[in-house]
Amino acid sequence: MLEIRGVSKLFSGIPAVDDVTFSARAGEVTGYLGPNGSGKSTTMKMITGLMEMTSGEILFEGRPIQRDLMAYKQRMGYVPEEPHLYSHLTGLEYLSMVALLRDLPVKPAAEKIDGLLRLFSLRGDRHAPISAYSKGMRQKVLLAAALLHNPDLLLLDEPFSGLDVGSALVLRSLIRELASRGKVILFSSHELETVERISSRIVILHRGRIVADDSIERLRVLMELPTLEGIFSQLAVEQNTEAVSREIADLILG
Amino acid sequence: MTKLQFRVLYREFLFRVVDLELLAPQGDIAKLLGQFGAVLIFLSFALSMRAMFVGANSLPLQTLRAVLWERENTLISTTMLVVGLFAVLSWDSAFLNRRDVMVLAPLPVRARTLFFAKIAALATALSLTILALNALTGLAWSIVFAGANSGFADVLRSLAAYWSTMIAAGVFILCGVLGLHGLAAQLPRRRYLRVSALLQMAAFCLFLSVYFLQPAPVSVKALGALESRHLLEWLPTYWFFGLFQVLNGSVPAEIQTTILSLARRAEFGLAIAVLTAGTAFLLSYFRTLRKIVEEPDIMPGAGGIHWLPRFGNSVTTAIVHFSIRTLMRSRQHRVILAFYLGVGFAIVILFMQAPAPRQQALSASVSVAGLLASVLMLACAVAGARMVFTMPLQLKANWIFRVMPLPGPRGLLNAIRRSLLVLSVVPVWAVSAVALLWIWPWRIVAGHLVALALFGSILADVSLSGFQKIPFTCSYLPGAGYRGFLTVWSTLFVTVTAVGFERRALDSGAGYALMIAILCAAAACARWWSVARANSPESALLFEEAETPAIFALDLHRDGRLSA
Repeated sequence: MLEIRGVSKLFSGIPAVDDVTFSARAGEVTGYLGPNGSGKSTTMKMITGLMEMTSGEILFEGRPIQRDLMAYKQRMGYVPEEPHLYSHLTGLEYLSMVALLRDLPVKPAAEKIDGLLRLFSLRGDRHAPISAYSKGMRQKVLLAAALLHNPDLLLLDEPFSGLDVGSALVLRSLIRELASRGKVILFSSHELETVERISSRIVILHRGRIVADDSIERLRVLMELPTLEGIFSQLAVEQNTEAVSREIADLILG
Repeated sequence: MTKLQFRVLYREFLFRVVDLELLAPQGDIAKLLGQFGAVLIFLSFALSMRAMFVGANSLPLQTLRAVLWERENTLISTTMLVVGLFAVLSWDSAFLNRRDVMVLAPLPVRARTLFFAKIAALATALSLTILALNALTGLAWSIVFAGANSGFADVLRSLAAYWSTMIAAGVFILCGVLGLHGLAAQLPRRRYLRVSALLQMAAFCLFLSVYFLQPAPVSVKALGALESRHLLEWLPTYWFFGLFQVLNGSVPAEIQTTILSLARRAEFGLAIAVLTAGTAFLLSYFRTLRKIVEEPDIMPGAGGIHWLPRFGNSVTTAIVHFSIRTLMRSRQHRVILAFYLGVGFAIVILFMQAPAPRQQALSASVSVAGLLASVLMLACAVAGARMVFTMPLQLKANWIFRVMPLPGPRGLLNAIRRSLLVLSVVPVWAVSAVALLWIWPWRIVAGHLVALALFGSILADVSLSGFQKIPFTCSYLPGAGYRGFLTVWSTLFVTVTAVGFERRALDSGAGYALMIAILCAAAACARWWSVARANSPESALLFEEAETPAIFALDLHRDGRLSA
């Protein structure tokens, strides 16, 4: 289980994440939602150990992750929000580098890389530099790199970004499949329909604070709203969307 | 609208004319260009100093002529070298690239506005470079070149000849490079990308080699000799030397034919270079822009060798592979390394031109220049590789190293050291082995190669002491390059002393054994030192050169003042 306890992050004294507490359990998919700038990616970066928290504690299987960060990183897979990759390397070289850095046995790693490239439809372009890849292909490389070492904890920040319909459907099933095999999965996305379909539990963040943390069914009952979109709009969207869109149209049309 | 667009684009292109990623990814653009200009003006000051000490009235005509010709040739070739290096550094921004097209093409901007803005930016950058480099020399030397008893009109003529020649030489080099680059851009995209990288390196090496290897114009007799005429006809610096003599009206009657022929070559060369650059720009106007947009996003898989050997454990292998691939594929990093090697090469050439002392012993077959060449190139290669290691490739992609379960600086020391050895020491050592075995007896070469390997090991350890970064991943602060230069110059001093010692040691087996023993001890000490520094408690892997300050300044010093 991944536990986030009272985690805060201040940038020049301004809180980006403010006293956030929630947990993600093995066998469950936890959806992490929030509008732009609510602190989702900052939380993700703190969970990966990329960013230090100002206060609070993050525990994985009951142990603070900072106590043995190396061992924790061995068991964690991460797909960042932006597909930043070393674009001078080929897809195959990038994945091979990740396998070496993770100290995976050479032959099984090579077989796994080949299999992942084939299943993600990247095999034909494995020798092309990543600079020549489309956004969706880069996203697939990130996914393959995150899954290569069979992680126990999977942190997915906007994993559907740039994927075509077919690949998105595969990923959706894959996330459910991995959760059913006992992985801890925390994923953040703006695609509420997808989140609603695959998440067992929802955490909604607004201005750095948690405004909802429960299963979708219970949130529906509690808020008397039929969809996640309705729940999210009520909890995290401050604007009157129709009024704003009317204003924009008025502004453009003069 | 078009004028405003032109001004906006002109400014944008002018500030991007030198590849900033190459020089200082984190640097302040205005500060960087200011530093660049200051270096050129300092160079101009240094070159102009000698003008005050030319005894025009006291020297015999032949000697004075040799001094002045040597200076004229140096000034012309320095201008051509600096403009050439500028053309190499601004290689990627010379023409509109894919990013320009993708950003600007959807906007209502005419293609001709883009191109005129680009040409104007290049012309401005060229003018400023020539102006900064010749700001002081142009004045000081023009007076000297006008002659001892010259009047105001002669000085004016000399001034006009000087500036016309320098501008013509600069335009010739820049247009030549642009023309070649632009014509290569007409090749299929994949082929162009490969050829372009090779052309850039070739141009860089050519400029440096010609600058250091060309003969100096020593006398009327030498210039007029048939064999030297054939050589001079192929050296553009001499074409413009001839042009200057013609414009300045200082052609000696004895070699009038030679000088006129050189001047004619300068005129033809300039015309051809301008024509080629113009054609290249027109072609990119009509053809390349469309081609860039029509290029498929995904290029077909590249062929070639993808296999690399293992270099130790998994993490070490990953980092060495990453370093090799980055250096092989990043043009910016290769150019910087080539610059260091070029500096080494130039110093070696200078030593080779110096007369060697006569020796009777075993070492008679071994020249100091030969020993120095391998040792100095090794030092420059290590300094260059160490320098490029500090320059990042894609900072935003570094997260992958940060989320990996990597050991600290101590665990990575071997990986970083092997990367440096593989990319600098091993290639220079291997080339030296082949070259020296060709010219020297194998026993001497074997001994020298052992010493060279030990020297490489010492340099690697000393240069990596306190280097707590994975190569090409840490952000770069301008100024690190100066440390690299200092390393080269301090190493040069040590190298020259050590090579002299090695040459003397060649005459006795015991002396050579003692030298190897000293080197072994020094190598062990250097290794111990670098490991100890990596083991220190405050040692941590760095991805940011400048850490976020613990205390933020509030800048309240103006509080309470009334604004005017």
